[in-house]
Amino acid sequence: MMNYQNFKDIDINVHDYDIVLKIKDENDISVARQMAKSFAQKHNFSLADVTKIATAVSELSRNIYRYAKEGYIYIKKKETEPDKDISIEIIAYDRGPGIENVERAVAGGYTTSERSLGLGLAGVRRLMDSFYIMSEVGKGTIVVAEKRRRKF
Amino acid sequence: MKDIVISRLNELVNELAKEEEKKKAWEDFLVDFAEVCEKADFKEKLKTSIINLLNHVNEKELSDGIGLLHEKIDNFPAVDVYKALIEVLGEKNKENLAKIAELHDVLAELSTPIIQLWEDVLLVPIIGTLDSQRAQNMVEKLLESIADTRAKVVIIDVTGVPMIDTIVGEFLIEMFSAVKLLGSDVILTGIKPEIAHTLVKLGIDFKMVIIKRDLESALKYTIKQFEEGKEIKLDKNRGKNRGDAGEN
Repeated sequence: MMNYQNFKDIDINVHDYDIVLKIKDENDISVARQMAKSFAQKHNFSLADVTKIATAVSELSRNIYRYAKEGYIYIKKKETEPDKDISIEIIAYDRGPGIENVERAVAGGYTTSERSLGLGLAGVRRLMDSFYIMSEVGKGTIVVAEKRRRKF
Repeated sequence: MKDIVISRLNELVNELAKEEEKKKAWEDFLVDFAEVCEKADFKEKLKTSIINLLNHVNEKELSDGIGLLHEKIDNFPAVDVYKALIEVLGEKNKENLAKIAELHDVLAELSTPIIQLWEDVLLVPIIGTLDSQRAQNMVEKLLESIADTRAKVVIIDVTGVPMIDTIVGEFLIEMFSAVKLLGSDVILTGIKPEIAHTLVKLGIDFKMVIIKRDLESALKYTIKQFEEGKEIKLDKNRGKNRGDAGEN
């Protein structure tokens, strides 16, 4: 799991990712969701987990569209050893306004938007197995989330 | 120019195309071209011929053909012909965009059917993903129908919704509240297992409405309520009502 101490440390190499998507209008949200869904299906995630991953991507790209206007979604498959269980990593990265109170945003029920439940980030954290967020006001926000494939 | 084109018509046509149908189309085009090429507004006149030709050959073939004519005929006004072609394609593109916009409107109407299922009962099957535009249209249409039909119960079926995230959840909650402000009750049906799990994780509950497994149980429940002459009560009696329906 990636950890960034500082915003300027962020260095995402697009070649490491299976899917790179620019989010800039509402249609891109459905595109991102669709691609995440088929990507998870392709890697044999269970139906419930496919739905969770697709929902998480939908939330993250919605946040980008709503607050930062523009940003990127990166998705990749992670494999520690061959034949070991895999996971899917999602990164949402934008250079938007940033979040003033990250703890509150992640705790849920907090929003700066009028028509919103403020459940998005908290929801993503619960939908995924690991969740990391860094945000700096005026600089942007990065969310890294991971979902492991469960054995049946 | 006119004479050159007419005198070499057969030779040119044979080089331009192989199939009989396309040959015929090119021949018509060249005859038209010869007819108008010396006139002042020839570009405008040529557009009709280009449109006819495009019915038989594709854009690539047409473009290649113009290139060939440019090579074969001295002083062939390729630039003007290309200009006419670009304008024709521009108009075509505009028409297509208008058609897409039209279809979008048609889809918006089609995708929000509101069905009067029974006296006082409306069914709203929601299909596909909801974007803000569609959601807005749907709420407006539904509220109007409720006001018109004075429906007492609205069954909202989400079997056809592949995924509910917070934005769709918010929209549904808004819709439920609006419906209830009009004095109707809402029954929500068709939540799939994988969506149920996701909703719990997201922290969205729809506790303000009655939830039934599927359309069948929603209908049974509604009919039973009507038979007993009861208004459907939420709040305190909700558990009891659900129990009643369960006996069916």
